[in-house]
Amino acid sequence: MLARLDAAGARRGRVVGVTGAPGAGKSTLVGELAVRLVAAAPGRAVAVLAVDPSSPVSGGALLGDRTRVRFPAGEPRLYFRSQAAAGELGGVARTTFQVCRLLTRLFDVVFVETVGVGQSEIEIVRVADRTYLIVPPLAGDHVQFMKAGIMELPDAFVVSKADVGEPASATFHALRASLRLARPGAEVPLHRVSARTGAGVDTLCAEILTGPAGAGVEARAAHFFERWVAAEHGRRGVARLTAAGGAAAYVAAHGGFEAAQAAFDGEVGA
Amino acid sequence: MSDQPPHVLVGKDGAPAPDRPWIFRTYAGHSSPRASNQLYRANLEQGQTGLSIAFDLPTQCGYSSDDPVARPEVGKVGVPINSLDDFHVLFEGIPLDRMNTSMTINGTAMWLLALYVALARERGVPETALKGTTQNDIVKEYLARGTYIFPPEHSLRLVAETYEYCVDHVPEWNPSNICSYHLQEAGATPLQEVAFALANAIGILDLLRERGRIDDERFARCVGRISFFVNAGIRFVEEMCKMRAFGALWDDICRDRYGITNPKYRLFRYGVQVNSLGLTESQPENNAWRILLEALGVTLSRNARCRALQLPTWNEAMSLPRPWDQQWSLRLQQILAFETDLLEYPDLFDGSPVVASKVAAICDGARGEIDRILAMGGVRGAIDAGYMKSQLVRSMADRMASINRGDQVVVGVNRWTDGLPSPLVGGDDGGVFRVDPAAVEEAMTALAATRARRDAGRVRDALARLEAAARSGDNLMEPSIECALARVTTGEWANALRGVFGEYRALTGIDGQTLDLAPDRLATLRARIDGFAAAHGHRPRLVVGKPGLDGHSNGAEVIAVAARHAGFDVVYSGIRLTPDEIVASAVEEDADLIGVSILSGSHLELTDQLMATLRRHGAEIPVVLGGIVPRDDVAELQARGVAQVFTPADYQLIDVVDRMMDVIEARR
Ligand code: B12
Ligand SMILES: Nc1nc2c(ncn2[C@@H]2O[C@H](COP(=O)(O)OP(=O)(O)OP(=O)(O)O)[C@@H](O)[C@H]2O)c(=O)[nH]1
Ligand SMILES: [Mg+2]
Repeated sequence: MLARLDAAGARRGRVVGVTGAPGAGKSTLVGELAVRLVAAAPGRAVAVLAVDPSSPVSGGALLGDRTRVRFPAGEPRLYFRSQAAAGELGGVARTTFQVCRLLTRLFDVVFVETVGVGQSEIEIVRVADRTYLIVPPLAGDHVQFMKAGIMELPDAFVVSKADVGEPASATFHALRASLRLARPGAEVPLHRVSARTGAGVDTLCAEILTGPAGAGVEARAAHFFERWVAAEHGRRGVARLTAAGGAAAYVAAHGGFEAAQAAFDGEVGA
Repeated sequence: MSDQPPHVLVGKDGAPAPDRPWIFRTYAGHSSPRASNQLYRANLEQGQTGLSIAFDLPTQCGYSSDDPVARPEVGKVGVPINSLDDFHVLFEGIPLDRMNTSMTINGTAMWLLALYVALARERGVPETALKGTTQNDIVKEYLARGTYIFPPEHSLRLVAETYEYCVDHVPEWNPSNICSYHLQEAGATPLQEVAFALANAIGILDLLRERGRIDDERFARCVGRISFFVNAGIRFVEEMCKMRAFGALWDDICRDRYGITNPKYRLFRYGVQVNSLGLTESQPENNAWRILLEALGVTLSRNARCRALQLPTWNEAMSLPRPWDQQWSLRLQQILAFETDLLEYPDLFDGSPVVASKVAAICDGARGEIDRILAMGGVRGAIDAGYMKSQLVRSMADRMASINRGDQVVVGVNRWTDGLPSPLVGGDDGGVFRVDPAAVEEAMTALAATRARRDAGRVRDALARLEAAARSGDNLMEPSIECALARVTTGEWANALRGVFGEYRALTGIDGQTLDLAPDRLATLRARIDGFAAAHGHRPRLVVGKPGLDGHSNGAEVIAVAARHAGFDVVYSGIRLTPDEIVASAVEEDADLIGVSILSGSHLELTDQLMATLRRHGAEIPVVLGGIVPRDDVAELQARGVAQVFTPADYQLIDVVDRMMDVIEARR
């Protein structure tokens, strides 16, 4: 399927990661961005892939992000799909990478929303060409929280719900100050938006389209191939992969992700 | 001082004098202004002493009858009001200056009040003579009832402006009525009911004070105008104590928070509709006893007796009441007030240590909860954070689980379920009310006539003035009254404000909820679902949808939580979606099943729309439907393509999810 799309010269969309704490305003913002992006260019198509945590007990998930997004009825250039994380660490489902690859052939921008709980920022950075951390207006001391760990990873930061006023600007300034400490010398874009009033959203749209992006989704195949091997073939599989020279070499040798999968399945006799 | 013994109630002159009874109300309205007018006049002749108007969902949600989203719901659950012309018909022969009119209207409350004032002006009745209540409690709409339109801050502004207008122009009007009734119907415990309602009242009064548009004297009168609409459940002793707790807490709040010195303004004035959530579809005749017991909770204690009472009917879980059903419930009130000796005594419970202690416990718990909400920034903050909604869904899920386990006894549902057939449902109509479709056509014709007759220039100017005021922050009452006089329609009024304020979708509250169900049965069901996931490479996906304007969310929420708890992946986007939006979600999400929940009585029309949309998408996703479905309609729905129909009798959630699995696997 991918091969056929590639042969047909399908588009190569940009994968935009959006992460942040529960309730940060990610879905509402992504919905608003998507609607504006397609409205701004007649040929442009945008997809949203939203990953929701699954219950560790029942395995079921509430795919709730859709609730926040209202696309104009019957607009074929907008697509929304939910995915259950199904117990994966990092909140990025096992198949997210593959789904993304497919979507990038069909859409110009592919948003991937994940709930930011520690690990997942790391995973989303691997899937996406460019990752945004959404920070809701926080009360007083909580702003300090922002320092640890996650400050290094995202390509840009967005303070959401700017319409609430004072707490939003306090968060914005505190974040800017901590960024100066955490990433000295780096010009990390910092946005302040309100999905409710639309303030700052167009500027963010522009930056999403033009901001520096990673090497494209294919370049990250090795990481996800290794994850796939671990999930499908367990520790033995990983050992075998290492013995074969590691994921990057294996994918390269077999000419792509799917081909590598098929080859590996064949080797271990699955 | 009177020299009568303590058990004798005395009047001002010291002579024995029984109390006057509370106001008897019947919540009513359907089909068309003309049909409803006839109903009201008949009820008033029957001895009913006030009017309580039910509006249809388009009117409540700000759509005119000829709007496509309105069409399936016109006249179904209340009367459609499109313009002032409709109000003239609705109140024909009813003297406005002598009527106490209560309107269950929220999202469009300011508009309906403007229509009422405009009607008075055209009839030459002074505004100051108008008495009544617009429900106008928007906070509980976000939490429980669903007929909100604009984002909270704009909706609250409309509420505040009705107070600011009425305090000078319609001084005997209750601009809003804080409803905890609906909170209990959405699952609230007595403690939550008290706390959320009082926090809500505080939210409105704080806002009025912050806005600073009225002076202290007027503010005090606004405090005095705050009235409440409370629920009374089947645990009637606790409910009686709840009413006393409400009164005590309200008195404290008015005195301490707002410095109100006049005790008259601190009085907890309340009306009641007794609990309907506990009224069952199975053995519906039992509901008559439930209603009676619930009525006792709010009438027994003189110091906490309601001002007005409206009762549901025995067939509550089947359909809207027929006129006879309403008459039967009205008779209950008449017997209670006039045959019994209830009104001859002073308070029966003053001095009871049991009651005092129970009241204190409710007060303590409620104070803690109110403080928690205030710490979140009051009701507005708590709406945005989803706190109160999620607490309600939590309570509702607990209630359902406890009925499922049999811990909470519901006679005829989970105990003593075998019984003789009820003759009440044996009649030609099966005990069910049906709206006459011809009456709806009448409403449409009237709307067309209004549009044809009115002065287009005056309409344009009135709407422009309304919009300008919405932007500038001027009080919107006078511009709304001018709209009413100009024959602007309900949809036009709301659309003008939608253009300025935008629209809103509230949180669903189902995130993170679980159910405490029988572990062994749950394990069997989960194993079945895991088996499906293993065989098909994904968990069963369910899109739960609420098409149309219906705001009854309990059923959809409970089903969404139950399905997820059992191992489904669930999409539930909340109330008021179009069939188009639901089908689009299901197609994009590659759903295995669509489950719609419809309690508004529009299940046939909405099913047709849904099926047509599915066909248009070429999607072959099976559909199940749940809600209030009269028995005769079940086969009809199946004939129109619904795979399974669920009603309140299907209260065992594990069975419901199991049957959904049957439908999914039958298609595979
Ligand atoms: C609670 C309630 C309310 C609450 C709703 C709170 C909420 N957030 O849900 C409040 C007080 C707000 C309310 C308001 C109104 N209500 Co009301 N309400 C009820 C009541 C008492 C119970 C419904 C309920 O929640 N039951 C508990 C849930 C869990 O049960 P359920 O929804 O039936 O769901 C079960 C099954 O049906 C099934 N099921 C349901 N959906 C689905 C979906 C799927 C996929 C599946 C598999 C199964 C399934 O499984 C569930 C589990 O057993 C009913 C009467 C009754 N006793 O049934 C009237 C009733 C539904 N209401 C009615 C009316 C008229 C109104 C109003 C329109 C009145 C008015 N004119 O303003 C308003 C407007 C609300 C709106 N915005 O639409 C009428 C509807 C008449 C009709 N259909 O002909 C009823 C029948 C009462 C009556 N006899 O008049 N109501
Ligand atoms: N005031 C304001 N509230 C907003 C804004 N954007 C989102 N919200 C509110 O914030 C809450 C959470 O929004 P979501 O978009 O669901 O946030 P999320 O980060 O996707 O949440 P999860 O997916 O559950 O982690 C909702 O109540 C929104 O209405 C905004 O711009 N301003
Ligand atoms: Mg989200």
